[in-house]
Amino acid sequence: MISGITIIIRTAAALLIVSMAGTVLLPPADAASDRLVIYSGRKEKAFKPVVEAFTKQTGIQVDLKGGKTSGLANEIRMEKANPRGDLFISTEGGIMEVLAGEGLLAPYLSPVTKAVPEVFKSTTGTWTGISGRARIILYNKNLVAEKDIPRSVLELTDPKWKGKLAIAGTRERTTLAWVSALVAVKGEAFTRDYIKGLLANGLKILADNTEIWQGVGRGEFAVGLTNSPNYYLAKKMGLPVGVVYPDQGPQGFGTPINANAVAIIKGAKNPDAARKFIDFLLSLDGQHILVTADYEIPLLPEGDSGEVLPARSIKQPPVTEQHLAVLAEPTLKLLTALSPDW
Amino acid sequence: MTQAPSTAFHGALPTPPALGRGTKVAATLLLLGVSLMVLPPLLYLAGAAIRPGTIGALAGAALVTLAGKSLSLAALATIWAMTLALPLAWLVVRTDLPFRDLCRWLAVIPLAIPSYIGALTYIALLGPVGTVNTWLSTLTGTNQQWVNIYGYGGGVFILGLFTYPYIFILVCTALDSTNPAIEETARLLGEGPLGVFRRVTLPMLRPSILAGGLLAFLYALSDFGSLSLLRVHVFTTEIYHQLNTRFDHSAAALLSFVLVLITLAVLVGQRLLWGRRSFVTVTGTARVAPPMHLGRWRWPACALAGVILGLSVFLPIGVLLSQAGSVGQFAEVFREQWGFFKNSLWTAGLAATFAMVLGLLIAYTAVRAKGRASASLSGTVQIGYAIPGTVLGLSLILLYNTYLPWFYGTVGVLVLAYLIRFLTQSMQGVEAALAGINPHLEEAARSLAVSPGAVLRRVLAPIVRPTLFAVWALVFISAMKELDATLLLRPAGFDTLPVRVYIHTVEAEYAKAAILSLLLIAFTALPWLVLTRLRGKKLL
Repeated sequence: MISGITIIIRTAAALLIVSMAGTVLLPPADAASDRLVIYSGRKEKAFKPVVEAFTKQTGIQVDLKGGKTSGLANEIRMEKANPRGDLFISTEGGIMEVLAGEGLLAPYLSPVTKAVPEVFKSTTGTWTGISGRARIILYNKNLVAEKDIPRSVLELTDPKWKGKLAIAGTRERTTLAWVSALVAVKGEAFTRDYIKGLLANGLKILADNTEIWQGVGRGEFAVGLTNSPNYYLAKKMGLPVGVVYPDQGPQGFGTPINANAVAIIKGAKNPDAARKFIDFLLSLDGQHILVTADYEIPLLPEGDSGEVLPARSIKQPPVTEQHLAVLAEPTLKLLTALSPDW
Repeated sequence: MTQAPSTAFHGALPTPPALGRGTKVAATLLLLGVSLMVLPPLLYLAGAAIRPGTIGALAGAALVTLAGKSLSLAALATIWAMTLALPLAWLVVRTDLPFRDLCRWLAVIPLAIPSYIGALTYIALLGPVGTVNTWLSTLTGTNQQWVNIYGYGGGVFILGLFTYPYIFILVCTALDSTNPAIEETARLLGEGPLGVFRRVTLPMLRPSILAGGLLAFLYALSDFGSLSLLRVHVFTTEIYHQLNTRFDHSAAALLSFVLVLITLAVLVGQRLLWGRRSFVTVTGTARVAPPMHLGRWRWPACALAGVILGLSVFLPIGVLLSQAGSVGQFAEVFREQWGFFKNSLWTAGLAATFAMVLGLLIAYTAVRAKGRASASLSGTVQIGYAIPGTVLGLSLILLYNTYLPWFYGTVGVLVLAYLIRFLTQSMQGVEAALAGINPHLEEAARSLAVSPGAVLRRVLAPIVRPTLFAVWALVFISAMKELDATLLLRPAGFDTLPVRVYIHTVEAEYAKAAILSLLLIAFTALPWLVLTRLRGKKLL
């Protein structure tokens, strides 16, 4: 007499043994498939359209693994012995410099990367910027009167903003890059005092930029420090938001543009397809999709920025990505010493 | 069915039958296999944590604060979960509560709602600019903040609300299989209903309450998603934060290691508590208790059940429905993302099946072979549950990509991660059920020259069958919801449903996230429905 449970157990046991044996005995499956594997720290919504257009044009199939830039960078470091990804897309250039410094990226110099301005790419050809996002002040129009709109990030330590401010923590690499740029321009002591001032003003440090623009848009905070596409996203959703590109006056030190960057992972299984993909990203077609999908700033001089403020109209602080990469660790120390929430 | 005489023992259990050599070999092999599965990530963790300078990296005081906060939050969430689960379980199993079968089925649904999705819906309701605050402000004409779900209290509320079914399921199963004759006897001897519950029913439920409570506690202790959304700083959020902002993982490893140690201490404590009192039911076939008549308390009791189910099922699902949009959008999302559904279903199904079989084998070995090997066996399994998903993911990447690269690239590593994380659930459940079976039953079978394997299959398995179904569904549900390790370990292009929900939430595509959440909940609850149907109208 065999009960149902016996059959289940026998089947399962057989399954278990077969799969364990399979794992141990079977020859490794052909790992080097011809599908291009991209680790992307960019929003899927912003990046998928360009991937689909690439597949349509070249016939090369793409497997996309989305995540947070720093998390994926960690994964690439962990997989060093046996790289799984072909390409890495980051939200900021500094982290590319860190990976390049560890020898995890393969250089690629091509006619198209030459067109990218020097400040938005590696000096050794290991990575290149593909589009940009400026640091902005996002404010809620219902909560901030016209005359009170802050024109400089430095105004935000004013007591009138107490309890009304929010920023994403350093899990967003762009936040770290912003503070590093401040350190580069204004010095460490100044930056420390400034951050102290913000914290004394009740600055809320949240998990990511989505929380910032949603929070400001819905009125949880009056003012948020975030990236330029988030203004357009909030506006598109009908939220009452306004934007300031801070510190733009003649005396202003400017606001940084962070480059979304691409690099080929060293040991990539499909280097040819990876190069093709980079070429496509920097082609006019690629740039158009990339820029319009998420309101990004084109980095190529001839790129059409649409309704987005173009790079040439934004005054930027004179800081290189290499410098930002060097500053990343000390800046993180500076921040976490002031508040564990960073 | 003949009515066998039954009785209950308090105090010492009869000596379990001696194990044959085959069983001992099997136990050793099991221990070996499970150790190979669970220990390498742990050793990696220990290695990374115990490095010179690490301790200094995190101030000791901060570590203590964090530990205190994590532990108290998990403990309060568990107490809250027990408060919800016990009355509800008793009402649906032992009384003539209106809609009791429906309530019993519905009460399991919160398990299918990932706590991070639950948190999101409550943020929409009770956040600083949520529905309730907006509504109250309009109503009173003031701009005051009435409720705020963010923070410690919110974390306790959410985690208890979405983990109480762990306790509910096991307590229901236990209530089903404890012999009502014992309670009837107590009542005949003059005990009041409360006295019977406190002095007879509760002690019999203790293993199930403890097993369920432990699952809830460990879930709360290792939860990252909802606490991160609710802006609570605990161990897991700090570990995640460290892993995602720093390249030096020693601090994260240290934190994880401390978390694992805390969990192990909890597990040892639970063992001690568990061992103090025990009971067995001699008969395998317990008679179903006649429902107690609630009389005029019938509808108040129904209202209580309604409130519990309202908070944990209807409200969150209602919020998701209001965010989701039209039926057409549902169909479109379903079509667009069908591949991801399949990914989730078969990986979770495979993990649940493995976990059920392994759980039965391990629990049997642990309960009957009360040796050092078996204790370390179940202990080892429980370690897996204590490793935070993110940390487990990272350590598996390092280990398998280095030593078994061709395995790492496959979905197998995902299933393995689910097994490591959730084997405890099945083992705990089966162990609790086996603990209630008199070893004499086995002895009798064995004296008839039946092999140990046959005893397990033909005597024990039928008795614990309800539990086996329950644990399969538990692990399936947990694996369907798993996010932290999946995010790291999924091969490129192999997204699961929680990953999709996560991506759409991060990108503020709330309608899509809501639709996928609803589908995830439906698909997770579905096997439960099928299983209960298979078992007839008895449910569970």
